[in-house]
Amino acid sequence: MIRNASTALGGRILSFAHALGGAVLLFRQFLRELFARPLLLNLVGEQVYFVGVRSMGLVFITAVSTGMVMALQFGLGLEKFGGKLYVPKIVALSIVREMGPVFCSLMLAARVGAGIASEIGSMVVTQQIDAMRALGTSPIKRIVVPRILACLIALPLLCVLGNAIGILGSIAIEVWELGLDPIFCFEKAVTTITLRDYLTGLLKTVFFAFFISVTACYFGLNVKGGTQGVGSATTMAVVVSSVLILVGDFFLTKAFFVLFG
Amino acid sequence: MAAVIEFQNFQKRFGSKQVHRDVSFTVHEGECLGLLGGSGCGKSVILRSLIGLEKPDGGRILVEGQDVGTMSESELVEIRKKVAYVFQNGALFDSMTVFENLAYPLRAHTNLSEEEIRARIHAQLAEFDLEGNDHVMPANLSGGMQKRVGLARSIILQPKIVLYDEPTAGLDPYNTLRIQEMILRLKTRGVTSIFVTHDMPSAFAVCDRIALLRNGRIEAIGTREEFESQGPDNPLSRFVRGEEP
Ligand SMILES: Nc1ncnc2c1ncn2[C@@H]1O[C@H](COP(=O)(O)OP(=O)(O)OP(=O)(O)O)[C@@H](O)[C@H]1O
Ligand SMILES: [Mg+2]
Repeated sequence: MIRNASTALGGRILSFAHALGGAVLLFRQFLRELFARPLLLNLVGEQVYFVGVRSMGLVFITAVSTGMVMALQFGLGLEKFGGKLYVPKIVALSIVREMGPVFCSLMLAARVGAGIASEIGSMVVTQQIDAMRALGTSPIKRIVVPRILACLIALPLLCVLGNAIGILGSIAIEVWELGLDPIFCFEKAVTTITLRDYLTGLLKTVFFAFFISVTACYFGLNVKGGTQGVGSATTMAVVVSSVLILVGDFFLTKAFFVLFG
Repeated sequence: MAAVIEFQNFQKRFGSKQVHRDVSFTVHEGECLGLLGGSGCGKSVILRSLIGLEKPDGGRILVEGQDVGTMSESELVEIRKKVAYVFQNGALFDSMTVFENLAYPLRAHTNLSEEEIRARIHAQLAEFDLEGNDHVMPANLSGGMQKRVGLARSIILQPKIVLYDEPTAGLDPYNTLRIQEMILRLKTRGVTSIFVTHDMPSAFAVCDRIALLRNGRIEAIGTREEFESQGPDNPLSRFVRGEEP
């Protein structure tokens, strides 16, 4: 029993180490082929559209509802202690530092990570990736690099959008439900947030963009065993990148406190 | 005749499964070698290894004297421009039209203008009886058409060596004949090729020599006449009749 469990655990750890090593190797290949000619900027543009523009609706809904819920929760909680006036400050800060970056990234991990992993996975299964190599072209250059770059470009921008919409959503609730003055709320939100709060939040999304795209490309490229493999690769990509985002967020927050005070 | 392709004691294993134990053969310039063998005996793996899609576990694979087994992915690009691999199922890019599929190798490896690319593709489509299908997506083509587009895409860079992986499997007699004609036409242009197939009439029609792959080795290799001169119990006839070795 214990022996079985320990071999199972050992196997898990081994396959985790294997995946980690593979992802690191993929990242190295990405760096190597990033500036290799031709640059294929049109492929990057295409992906920015898929990753960025097509995710705007999702980010909009996520941000506005998160902002509204947070304003409501803090408002109802703090009202009892007469702390209603602090709500705009608290909500704006938590959106910009944490909620905006993390929720945008999680939504993108689900939408884009799954899309990338299943698309690349099906290309593997139908031998299209092999065909690219057989035709003397690099799938890393044509498939992986544009998708990683697109996530790197789109995620911070989506986060900027998400932050703004989240704060607007929270202001709406502060005005309607808590009876605060809109100008007051807006002023508090804007004056509380420092540039450093804002930028550390955005800097996190750069890391998260790598977590999402490298993980998704890795699991997609390593699909084994037909269509079923595509399904499990997609699940793995979303689960692993979400966990990386949540765990990574803690360490990044800690590191930023140490680095930037 | 110069040897263009040479397998020397090639070995390949997947996990615990030893697919190739000791495969050695040579293909000469301008020759078409038929490669026959039961399903799953490793014919596709031989072709894939030849262009570096799989790495050998032992032995050497030489293409015009260069060992492809030890080449890096970037060194292999030059080999892959010379050696076309016609995939068993076409392996078309399903997010691109037929035209874009054919344009892909041209855009990647030549400096042709859009005009020239269009002319080249239309000529190629005509040669394969595919006119008017430029803007069709691969998913909307019949299986036989997908195979022909795959073949057209593989050879659009005018390679010196072509590896056919069952190009006639699942085709009707008319299309089979067209593919045979195509292969013979390429042969007259001096193309060296390996033709993997289960389709005996096609093999006899286009191949100069035939190799039988069994149990991870080349069991026999020779011309049709050489096989037949060994009497009715020669390995090729036994394979064709479906008999146990
Ligand atoms: N990537 C791989 N991973 C594991 N096993 C593989 C892989 N590729 C091939 N094999 C195994 O190698 C053997 C040979 O496969 P291959 O595709 O070369 O057969 P084949 O002779 O082309 O068969 P067919 O005539 O059916 O196309 C098979 O048993 C297959 O299971
Ligand atoms: Mg095969």
